[in-house]
Amino acid sequence: MKRGTLVFFCFLLGLNGGVVYAGEAPLKVVATTTTFADLVKKVGRERVSVAAVAPARWNVHFVEPKPSDVRNAAGADLFVHAGLDLELWVDPLLEAAGKTELFRGGPRNVDLSRGIELLKVPTMPVSRAQGDIHLYGNPHYVMNPENAGIMAKTIEGKLAEADPAHAESYARNLKEFLEELDKRVGHWKRLCGHCRDREVISYHDDVEYFVRFLGMRAEQFVEPKPGIPPTPRHLEFLQGYMKEKAVKVIVMPTYYPREAAAALAARAGGKVLTLCQNAGEIRGTEDFFSFFEYNFHQISEALK
Amino acid sequence: MRIFVSLCFCLLFVSRAAWGQESAALLESQVKELRQVVMELKGVVEKQQAEIELLKRTEKVRLPEPSPRPSAPAVVSTLGRWNPDIGVLADTVLKLDSPREDAEGADRLSVREVEIVFGSPVDPYSRLDAVLDFSDFEEAALDEAYLTRFELPFDMTARVGRFRPKIGKINAYHRDSLETVDEPLVIDRYFGHEGYSRSGVDLKKLLEVPSPMTHELVFGVLEGGVGEGGTAFPGARRRPTFYSHLKNYVDFSEVTNLEVGLTHLAGSKDADRRLEVQMLGLDAVWMHHFTSRHRLKLQGEAFYMNREESVDGTLWGGYGLVDFRLHPLWAMGFRFDLVELVDNPVTNPHKADTGYTGYLTFYQTEFARWRAQFSHFDLATGKDDNQVLLQGTFAIGEHKHKLQ
Repeated sequence: MKRGTLVFFCFLLGLNGGVVYAGEAPLKVVATTTTFADLVKKVGRERVSVAAVAPARWNVHFVEPKPSDVRNAAGADLFVHAGLDLELWVDPLLEAAGKTELFRGGPRNVDLSRGIELLKVPTMPVSRAQGDIHLYGNPHYVMNPENAGIMAKTIEGKLAEADPAHAESYARNLKEFLEELDKRVGHWKRLCGHCRDREVISYHDDVEYFVRFLGMRAEQFVEPKPGIPPTPRHLEFLQGYMKEKAVKVIVMPTYYPREAAAALAARAGGKVLTLCQNAGEIRGTEDFFSFFEYNFHQISEALK
Repeated sequence: MRIFVSLCFCLLFVSRAAWGQESAALLESQVKELRQVVMELKGVVEKQQAEIELLKRTEKVRLPEPSPRPSAPAVVSTLGRWNPDIGVLADTVLKLDSPREDAEGADRLSVREVEIVFGSPVDPYSRLDAVLDFSDFEEAALDEAYLTRFELPFDMTARVGRFRPKIGKINAYHRDSLETVDEPLVIDRYFGHEGYSRSGVDLKKLLEVPSPMTHELVFGVLEGGVGEGGTAFPGARRRPTFYSHLKNYVDFSEVTNLEVGLTHLAGSKDADRRLEVQMLGLDAVWMHHFTSRHRLKLQGEAFYMNREESVDGTLWGGYGLVDFRLHPLWAMGFRFDLVELVDNPVTNPHKADTGYTGYLTFYQTEFARWRAQFSHFDLATGKDDNQVLLQGTFAIGEHKHKLQ
């Protein structure tokens, strides 16, 4: 009987193993995307253990979180996401995890859109007749490297709040990251200097921050409306547009169907260029800087 | 010296008293003047206040516009701040059925279901969700209305109210999340035409065991009975049904995973008995994603129960489903059903209802979907049933699926 009681007690302790904390254990962070995960790693380094929910080659709009993501979130010290309405699956995921401090607005929820200057914020009433429109503005702000500084500062603040004993370390890492970012931003601007005032067609409206950073334009999209697949009539219009405006490049990430863009490029005498939306979407872009390096190199070469 | 100081003090006292007498009259007049000024000012303020109110009413006052905030905090609309998330789902079905009987929904185009979904946090600890069902051939019904209470002791989450218990896999899904137009036969025959939704309470716990797998345990108590047409626990509302489900999940890779679940139900089939019906269930889902929008899913569920009405005292039923999302816009699949019936004819006790279903789904957008389905059923009664179904499912408003 006593032995049975002991076993049962040990089982209960096992169930609640999560309440036993190791003093020097790294902070557990769950990020929605691989890009955010690497940014957290840049600021937290060895003091953080990071998991991403959306695989790098997936469209972050259409992720179905798995039970293992729920488990990771339930055990997380911080949950990092884009905010706005980029990842509509975040709330069901956090509710399934059941930790209210991780919910939106909670002290362990890190919304990286804080402080970002949003583009294309709707100024008129919106409806789904306009497609899968974003209510709060274009959420693909990660595509502008200048926003990375703001995001990194947000992350540093939350890491320091969650782990004040290592606040100095996070501040130091942030400083080094910002210095590196500053150098890289200058390099990328020089690399793509010749792209200024040029126009590209984008598959989805997800490069607005990227083209603005380079002084470029992306005013037409292969999707006739956000989230709506291309129609023959719309492709015909784009073909005429590309010829009239001498637009030669169609940009898209890897996860959209390529057929329509490829057919359009062939008919209009242009070419399709891959621009990553997530770190690691293409081999060799796993690191936050290499992700941008790839994209800027791609656009620079394509528009020479 | 002492005399000199006393004298000075007396002189000073007398002189101050004399001055006080003179100044009292002066002060009194000043107070009167001030009182008059205050009264005048009060009158002016009241007059101006009335003017402001009038101007506001006539909308002549233009309150300053909130300054444009290009950064993220601007996202919250003040108008909708206190409204719950509201979504509406319409499920229209054209059903052509081979039997000549005038069955419900057969040989007609019907709005089979309009679901109105509400949900919002109640306070920092809990959330309320409600789903109301309307149909053009059935009465309005409350499908779900439950409170979720987070962060209970031992990191448990509770649900209280009317909800779909997490038995097996498919029962917890609403119709818009099904791969087929209708529920599998085993759900229909044992738990009701629209699945199993009862009032009760359940507790969920993610088990923190040192394992690469994820384990989730749910335990609940529900009122007796099942949904309309169900036979597992009919007509015993006062006798509670106890249920538990253990979900086990493993990622083989970033894109391939397996989920296996075990269910146990214990309930009564009539008011005189206590938990005489024991039911065991096994569910499994294997999923492989080629990309985020292309995937292959194999899913199956089986339920086994003891029923004294059956010749050998047991019954079972199940289904197997293959669903292939071959394109972001297209999916196709096949389902096989087999279910032994509680009310089987005595002359043919082991005859089961079997079904063969094929379907093709077109996702017009994320919020509009069309589906064509053909089903052939071999029924235990010896009759056949062929059905052609065309379904349109449309969603407006806020629509987020719960993770199951």
